[in-house]
Amino acid sequence: MQRRDFIKQSSLASSLMFVPSFVKACESLAQNNLGYKKLVIIQLSGGNDGLNTIVPYKNDIYYKSRPALSIPENNIIKATDELGFHPSLSPLKNLYDKGYLSIINNVGYPNPVRSHFRSTDIWHTASNSNEYISSGWVGRYIDQYGKMPYSGIELDDSLSLILKGETINGIATKTPRVLHNIMKTPYFEKVLNQQTDDHLSEHNLGYLYKTMIEAKSSAKYIYETTKTYSHTKEYPNNPFGKQLKTTATFINSNLQTKIYYVSMGGFDTHVNQKNKQARLLDTFAKSMEIFVDDLERNNTFKDTLILTFSEFGRRVEQNAARGTDHGAANNVFVIGKNLKKPGFYNESPDLVNLDGNKDVKYSIDFRSIYATILNKWLEVGDKTILNKSFSKLDFIS
Amino acid sequence: MKTKYIQHLYSRAGFGIFPSELKRLGSKSKETIIQDLFSRSERANPLVIDLSEFNQLRDDNAMKAMKEANKEAIRKLRQKSRQKVMELNYAWIEKLRTADDVLREKMTLFWANIFVCKDNTVWHIQQYNNALREHALGNFEDFVKTIAREPSMSKYLNNKQNVKQHPNENFARELMELFTLGEGNYSEEDIKESARAFTGWSFKPDGQFFLRKRKHDYGTKTFFGKTGEFDGDDIIDIILEQKQCARFICEKVYRYFVNPDINESQLEEITEVFYRGYDIRELMVHIFSSEWFYDEENFGVKIKSPIELLVGILRIVPLKFEKPRQLLYVQKMMGQVLLNPPNVAGWKQNRSWIDSNTLMFRMKLASLLLNNAVINLDEKGEFEDTFEAYYKKENARKRHLRTTKNWDVFNSEYMTLQPSRLKEHIIIASVDKDTDALLENLSVNSNKDYLIQLMSIPEYQLC
Repeated sequence: MQRRDFIKQSSLASSLMFVPSFVKACESLAQNNLGYKKLVIIQLSGGNDGLNTIVPYKNDIYYKSRPALSIPENNIIKATDELGFHPSLSPLKNLYDKGYLSIINNVGYPNPVRSHFRSTDIWHTASNSNEYISSGWVGRYIDQYGKMPYSGIELDDSLSLILKGETINGIATKTPRVLHNIMKTPYFEKVLNQQTDDHLSEHNLGYLYKTMIEAKSSAKYIYETTKTYSHTKEYPNNPFGKQLKTTATFINSNLQTKIYYVSMGGFDTHVNQKNKQARLLDTFAKSMEIFVDDLERNNTFKDTLILTFSEFGRRVEQNAARGTDHGAANNVFVIGKNLKKPGFYNESPDLVNLDGNKDVKYSIDFRSIYATILNKWLEVGDKTILNKSFSKLDFIS
Repeated sequence: MKTKYIQHLYSRAGFGIFPSELKRLGSKSKETIIQDLFSRSERANPLVIDLSEFNQLRDDNAMKAMKEANKEAIRKLRQKSRQKVMELNYAWIEKLRTADDVLREKMTLFWANIFVCKDNTVWHIQQYNNALREHALGNFEDFVKTIAREPSMSKYLNNKQNVKQHPNENFARELMELFTLGEGNYSEEDIKESARAFTGWSFKPDGQFFLRKRKHDYGTKTFFGKTGEFDGDDIIDIILEQKQCARFICEKVYRYFVNPDINESQLEEITEVFYRGYDIRELMVHIFSSEWFYDEENFGVKIKSPIELLVGILRIVPLKFEKPRQLLYVQKMMGQVLLNPPNVAGWKQNRSWIDSNTLMFRMKLASLLLNNAVINLDEKGEFEDTFEAYYKKENARKRHLRTTKNWDVFNSEYMTLQPSRLKEHIIIASVDKDTDALLENLSVNSNKDYLIQLMSIPEYQLC
């Protein structure tokens, strides 16, 4: 066979894709009863400044600590007589007014780490700050419950730790067509089509073949399930808007995916924070409101919970470059229709009793939020996924 | 020695072997072959790039003078130093590609994932990297004592902040947990006491170690049941007295060089050898000389690290990236950027390299590098990036990896081989029978095409 014929033949063969028997077994396994609930996790990457997001506009310490950065009281979109939203966040305030938003203040963990990498690892793996775990908490959910790579999807081209399991990993894609095309490379097809799988072992070579087959069938499943969906909503034309648009496509097409992870970058505002953060929050809030509306119109919002976090908050005091440095505890947003305690879940940040680095102390361990979502929303065993039992909170029923 | 054995040895102790080398060694005895391997790695050839532009920052006095006069210039140089670390990354990969002392380079890679460290000060991390290279086949005791004094390590694990008045336990903890004993083989009290012994260990801007006497705790410490006025070196001596330390390192060596699955009696055997004098060279000679190293069950069972995969290809077809940044892109997409480990625990290796996305990228790598294939996948942004930069990492729709390829080595070593012989040289693992049937039925147009096809089957991911 000549090379050109080989390529031609193998692309023809693609329409007759042979599905090895154990892949079929995997697919039926994934249909098991995990319910309809979805979780969307959004990381505001770089460390969003929570104090200028939800502003304690009656607090003198806030204004004294940030002469160049604080937001004057009359620009705040007030929510309570203590706290209000950054002026860019009126779309988020709309969600708050509808009772779709819970704000949990002072979320963090003991002995906070101020490195982006390390603290992101800690949030992704649900570890203690002195513990190194090489699987993510969503990855372990896939290991124990989802069982297929597409049980958890990252809206990007490479996979983050959060979606890496002990034995099964999630899959990353921001464009299902691109992923599908890569997997459809004629030569890979040829290798896989030839595969009869009855002799694939548990050794590394068998593992590679299985991963390849699962990757291909996941890519195909994601692409084919979602390709005909047509949007009725216009999303802002920026990369974050696109990530949410694709997530909505996936959810509204009834993809069997349980957990989505999106990372929005740009929040590391050491220098001239004011305008930068205003633009970022504007981008974030506008896309979020449309996303929620899109899901609502398709009747999928009632089954979707959205969690946003940053790897850390920022220092109370501004720095010399009109920005803020890495801090500790921060606020977390939970967005959904079935909130038990919409509005503010707990107390405002305490700006008097700061930690040794003059950062906000945590009062709620982030893993309690994970445990609550796993247990009450996804209805799975939180203890085996988080390797430990954490007290549950009351933000969902 | 059998061809298959030599190939196995060189896939573990190096990055593969050329047909001509294989032929040269084929008639020789095992002892001679191993001797040859070690003698080529006798001395360390340091990795050096031009860092003269940072001379002022390395000099204590010049630094002080500059601090007064020109803060902005210092800031700029520091930024430049961060970028220069990338150049060191490229230079390291080039060194891996061209090295004749393959064993030493392979060991250096191994140690870089034990004594895991990261630093943006390029002359410190260069010094650190060369310390790994220098001690890679030396004495483990000297090695640990050197690492504990390195400025990059001191910064990475906060030993710089470890002072008598406020001990910082980070270095002491990781020294035991990740570098020598493993979790559960020491107490929290051992950590507290040993942290005191490392207080005041510091360095000069040029990288020289020095003891800040007023910050050092000269008091009595109790560590592993012993009591004395211990300093850091005493602590390391006591750690090495624990047989667990030899076992811990041997387990890592075994998984990396022999088989990801441990054979307990073989591990016990090499632990005895290593514990005798902590001589790394002796340990490696013992492993490569043993009969069990050449058991068939050890052939082609290790999943190559992204760097092993990349360097393996580059040794056969050297190439130059028109945009060096794309060399970084390739590393990022596969999940291993040299000099940029994820955390102090390092890369987890073996199956952890593989997920749906990395596997497809790895299997496409040969056609990307050698066949001008197109890839439309973007790398992740950095934490420090602005919103625009975060999403714009070479966000080209149809990305080619523009490379200038040099087929000379391939032409002289592989071009005239029979296809079946080419396969034996490129693939170490035994090929899956269905895939083998496919390969058999391909009519090979040119060895170049066949090379790329061979490098695109799952078996090529193994060594």
